[in-house]
Amino acid sequence: MKLTLNPMFSSLLRVPPAYFVFAALFVTLWVTKPQLMNVNVMGVFVRQVAPLGILVLGQLLVMRVRSIDLSGAGVLLIVNYMMSSGIMGDIHVLFYIPLALLLGLIVGLVNGYLIGRRRVSAVIATLAVTTILAGIVQFFASGKPPGAMPDFYNDIYNTKIWIFPSPVAFWIVLTVLMSVFLSRFVFGRYVASIGENPTAAHFSGVPVERTVIIAHVMASVIASIAALVQSSSIAVGSIRVGLEMPIDAVAATILGGVVFGRGEGGVWGPFFGVLCFALLFVVMTSFGVPEPGKLIARGLIILLAAILYGMRAAKS
Amino acid sequence: MTATLKNILTGKNSRQGLWILPLIIVVIGFVSLSVSTEDFATSQNLSNLLKQAMPLIIVAIGQMIVILLGGMDLSVGSMISLTTALLAIDAPAVVTIPLVVVAAVMVGFINGFSVVRLNVHPIIATLSMQFIVLGVAKLIRPVAGGSVPEFLVQWVNGTIFGVSTVFLWTPIVILIGWKLIHGSRYGLHLFAIGGGAAEGQEDAAHNFGISDRRNIIVAYICSALFAALAGAFLAGRIASGDPNVGTIFALDSVTAVAIGGTQLSGGIGGLHGTLIGALLMALLSNGMNLANLSAFLQGSIKGGILLLVVALQSRKKMGL
Amino acid sequence: MNSLIKLTNISKSFGNNQAVDDVTLELNSGSVHALMGENGAGKSTLMKILAGVHQPDVGSISRAGEVVSLTSPKLALDFGISTVFQELSLLPNLTIAENMFLGREPKRSFGMIDTKLMESQTKAALAELGLTLNPSTLVSELTIAERQFVEIAHGIKADVNIFILDEPTAALNAADVGMLNKHIRRMKDEGKAIVYISHRMDEIFDICDTVTVMKDGQHVATKSLSDMTPDSLIAMMVGRELEDLFPERSDAQGACLLEVKHFKLTSVSQPLSLKVHKGEIVALAGLEGQGQREIVRSLIGQHIPFGGTVRVKDHEISLPVAANNGIRQMSALGLGFVPEDRKDEGLFLNLPIADNITIGLHSTEGGLAPARKYREVIADTIKSMAIKTSSANASVASLSGGNQQKVLLGRYFASDVDLLVIEEPTRGVDIGAKAEIYKLLRQFTENGGGVLVLSRETIELIGLCDRILVIHDQTIVSEMVAADATEHNILDAALSSGSDATGSV
Repeated sequence: MKLTLNPMFSSLLRVPPAYFVFAALFVTLWVTKPQLMNVNVMGVFVRQVAPLGILVLGQLLVMRVRSIDLSGAGVLLIVNYMMSSGIMGDIHVLFYIPLALLLGLIVGLVNGYLIGRRRVSAVIATLAVTTILAGIVQFFASGKPPGAMPDFYNDIYNTKIWIFPSPVAFWIVLTVLMSVFLSRFVFGRYVASIGENPTAAHFSGVPVERTVIIAHVMASVIASIAALVQSSSIAVGSIRVGLEMPIDAVAATILGGVVFGRGEGGVWGPFFGVLCFALLFVVMTSFGVPEPGKLIARGLIILLAAILYGMRAAKS
Repeated sequence: MTATLKNILTGKNSRQGLWILPLIIVVIGFVSLSVSTEDFATSQNLSNLLKQAMPLIIVAIGQMIVILLGGMDLSVGSMISLTTALLAIDAPAVVTIPLVVVAAVMVGFINGFSVVRLNVHPIIATLSMQFIVLGVAKLIRPVAGGSVPEFLVQWVNGTIFGVSTVFLWTPIVILIGWKLIHGSRYGLHLFAIGGGAAEGQEDAAHNFGISDRRNIIVAYICSALFAALAGAFLAGRIASGDPNVGTIFALDSVTAVAIGGTQLSGGIGGLHGTLIGALLMALLSNGMNLANLSAFLQGSIKGGILLLVVALQSRKKMGL
Repeated sequence: MNSLIKLTNISKSFGNNQAVDDVTLELNSGSVHALMGENGAGKSTLMKILAGVHQPDVGSISRAGEVVSLTSPKLALDFGISTVFQELSLLPNLTIAENMFLGREPKRSFGMIDTKLMESQTKAALAELGLTLNPSTLVSELTIAERQFVEIAHGIKADVNIFILDEPTAALNAADVGMLNKHIRRMKDEGKAIVYISHRMDEIFDICDTVTVMKDGQHVATKSLSDMTPDSLIAMMVGRELEDLFPERSDAQGACLLEVKHFKLTSVSQPLSLKVHKGEIVALAGLEGQGQREIVRSLIGQHIPFGGTVRVKDHEISLPVAANNGIRQMSALGLGFVPEDRKDEGLFLNLPIADNITIGLHSTEGGLAPARKYREVIADTIKSMAIKTSSANASVASLSGGNQQKVLLGRYFASDVDLLVIEEPTRGVDIGAKAEIYKLLRQFTENGGGVLVLSRETIELIGLCDRILVIHDQTIVSEMVAADATEHNILDAALSSGSDATGSV
C-alpha cells in the first residue's frame, strides 16, 4: 500500500520549475517572435529585470529561513523618492548610495526585530512596514510625482560591460557573491539548518534569532541596492505604491526551487526564475495581455508553485 | 469571582483574549470626541460613523473566523473589490447577486482547498488569491464607475421609520456573526481546531472526531462571503463599482481582529473584541479626519498600530 | 469470553521506521489486557491504529469475522472504541466540559450548544472519579494530573465497549491510581474489553489478566498473567539477559563537572541540589510531570526556573539562563544537551548525516567563518559509532531509529563536549542499538565525561546509571545507588513522599 513515486518522476520534481518554464517560454518566443532573438534585444529585456533579480537575492535568503519579506515595495518607494524629489537638498550624487543603504539597514532591523524577536507573522510585519513607508512618502510628496532622477545614475545604467548591460553584470556579480556566501561560510549552514528545522537548529546551538534577524537586515539592504538600480532605470521618480516587485520576487524565488525552508534551487534556481519573468513580460506584452492579466499570472505562479511544493512536502 | 475579574482585565486564562483595554480606549475616544467636537455626538454623525465602520465590521467578522482556526485570509480585500465590480456590471440584480455569491464561494473554496488538501500555507494561498481575484476585478471593471442596483443604494443609505437603515443592519450582521462563532457547534469546533494549531498539534481536534478539513474549508468560504457582503455594502454606499476600493481591507481587517484581543496563532478571541477593534479603527479614522490629518499619514498610523498590536501578541512559531 | 475485536497481521511503517510489524491481537469481553514493551516497541502505534488515528499498511481489523474499517477517530468512536492517549490531547483553550463533549455536543433549540447539560454531566462524570473540578474551567488552568483525569473521564463513556488506556497513570499518585483501578474493575465486570499500557509492574499484575509483549514492532507473546512473574515479564520485554545489555559500571569518579545549587523550580518548590562527576552517569527518575523535564531544561534556558545557580567546571552561572542563548552558552562550556524528541528537536531529517554531525561544530564558530567540511571527523564518528549507512551524504531520514539516535549523539561526541545532559537516551530504538548506545555512553564517561540522563525506563535507570535521583513535586526526594535500586523502591520513592494533598493511602 506504500505510495512510491517513480524515481525518475521524483527526481524531476526536484529540479526547480524555473528551468522548465524558462525553456518553455524561450521556445515560445523563438517560434512566435524570432526577430526578438538577438543579443541586443534580449539584453534590454534582461536589463529590465535586473532590479528584480537583485531583490530576489534577499528574498531567497529570508525564504530559506522560513520567512518572507514584502517590505521591498516600501524600500523601493522611499529610495526612489529620496533620489528624485531633491528633498535631500544639494548633496553629491554619490551620497545617495550610503543613504539608501542606511534606509535599508533601518528597515531590515525593524523587520528582523519584529519577526526574529517578537515572532510576528512575517507577511503582516513587512506588509505593515510597506504601508507605513508608503504613507510617509506620499505625505511628503503630497500625492504628486517627484522630479527627475540624477543623470549620473541613468548614464551608468545605460553602459555595457562586454555584451552585458551594466545592471545585468552587477546582478550576476551579486548573485555569485551570494552563492559563495551561502555555500562556503558557516552562515550558510545556519540558514540551511533553520530552514530544515528551526527547533532542532536551536537545540544544536545555532543562533536562530540572530540568523533570522541578519537575514532580514541583509534582505532589506539588498532591497535598497535593488532600489538604486531600479531608480537608475527611470528618468522621473514615481510614488505609485505597488506590491508587484516583492511579489514577483517571491514568485521568482519559488519558481527557482527555494520555498519556505527548502533550498534545493540554491541561488541559481531563483536566478532563472527571474529570467522567466523577463521572458514572461515579453511574451505577455507581445501577446497584448492587459495589466489585470499580469496580476492573475503573478497570483497563479505563486499558487501553483506553492501547491507543487506543498504536495511534495506532504508526500515525504 | 475576583479570579474571573482578573482574567478579564489581563486577558489571561480567558478564551476571549484581552478585549477590555481596547474597549476602554473606544469609550475614552468616544467621550473625548463628543466633548471636544460639537458635531460628533449627533445622530447624523453617529450613523455616518457606523456606516463608515460597517464594511470593516462585516469583513472583520469573516476574517476572525479564519484567524480563530490559526489561518488568515488576505484575499478579502480583493473579494470586496470584485463584489463591487460584479454588482456594477450592466445586468439586473437577479443575475449579479447570485454571481457574487458564486464567486465568493469559489474563492473561499479554492483558499480552503489549497490550505487543507494541497498543504499550502494559508498566508501564501490567500496572498496569491489576492492577486488573482484583483486581476479578475480589474478585467471586469478597469476603473471606478458603473452603477449598482438602486435598492442596494437605498438599503445602505436610506431610512426606515425615520431611522437610518444602518442601525437595522448592524444588529443583524452581529447576530449572524455571533451565531456562527459563539452560538453553534461549528463555532466551538473553530476554537478547538485553532487551539490545537496554536499548540502545534494540528490534528488534536481531528482526534476528537471533528472533521477539521471540512470545517476549515467552510471557514474560508464564510470569510469570502462576509467579504462579499461588505463589498455589497460598500457598493451601495459609493453607488458604483471600484476595483481598488477593497485593497485596504486586507490588512485593516487583520488589524481590527488583532486589536480586539484575538490571537493570530488561533484559538483565542471573541466577537465582541472584533467589534470593538473595528469600531476603534473607525473612530480613529473619524478622529483623524476631524483633526485634518493627511489621508496618507493615516495609512502609516494604521500600519504602525497593526505592528504594535501584533508585536505585543505572543506566538511560538517564527516566520510566515 | 467472547472476542470483541481482532487485529490480524497488522503492519505499519513511518518512512524507514517499521513501527508495527505483522502483529495479531485479539481483545475479549471482560478482560483487562496488558500491552507491554519498551518505549518505541510499537504499542502506541498499534493502539492508534485501533483508535482510527493511523491506518495500517497491511492487515485487517475484524469483529466476529467481519472486517471493519476504522479510517478516522470518529468512526472508531462510533464503533465503540474509546482511547485515553499517552500524550495529553486535550485542547487547552476549551473548558473541561467542552473537551468532554467535543465532537458530540448536545444541542438546544436553534442549534445552540446545551452548555448546562454538558456541565452537569461533566460534573457527574468527574465526581465518579472523585474529582470536584468546576466543569467551566479552561483546561489550560489544570495541573498535569488533573488533565490526565479529565482525559480518563473523557474516555470512560457508557456506550463504549473497548477502552484503550495508554499510560493513564504516568502522572498519577497512589490514591489516584486506586480510584482508576476501581473503575477499570467495574468496566471489566460489565463485560468490556480494556487495553492497559503501563510501565509499572505492580499495576499490571494487580489489574490485568492477559499480557501481550511487543518488541521492536513485533509480537513476542500473549500469555495469561497468572503464568508470569515480574522477572519473566521483563526478560520477555528485553529479549535478552540484562547483563548483556548493559556495560560494566566503573567506579572511577573524578572531579565535579556539573553542580546545581539552591535550585528552585517555582517560588513554592523545595530547593534542590545535585552534582555530576567525571566518570559517572546520573539519572533523574520520577512520575510524569513532577518537574524533572523542567529541571534539566532550565540548565539550557528552555525553561525559566524561580532561581538557583549552576556550576559547569569552574564557571558559575546564575539561573535563569537566556532562552535564545542558553544552549550556546552551555556548549561553550562543554555541556551538550540531547533533546528527547529526536525528529522535532534533534535532527535535520532531510539533511545529510554529515551536516547533522558537523552542525554542532559549526555552531560554535561564527557565521562568517569559512564552513570547513570536517571530512575526517565525520568519517571517524560514523566508524566509531558504527552508524550503518552507505554514505555520509545520505539523509538522516533514510536511517533506522537506532542509527538516527547515534547520529544525534555523534554530533555531541564529535564536538568538544565532556558533559552530556540527555533526555531519554534510547527512545524508539531497537534492542541492539540500545546496547550499543549504552556502551558508547559508558565509554564517554570512561574517557572523562559525565552524563545526566532523564529516563522513564526503570530498567534503563537501574542498568545504565551509577546514581539515581528521584524527583517528586519539583524536588529530589531520594537518592540511591543504581546497583542496589529496584523498580519497587524507585516507584516507592517517586510516589510516597507523603506530602500529597490528595494522598489517602
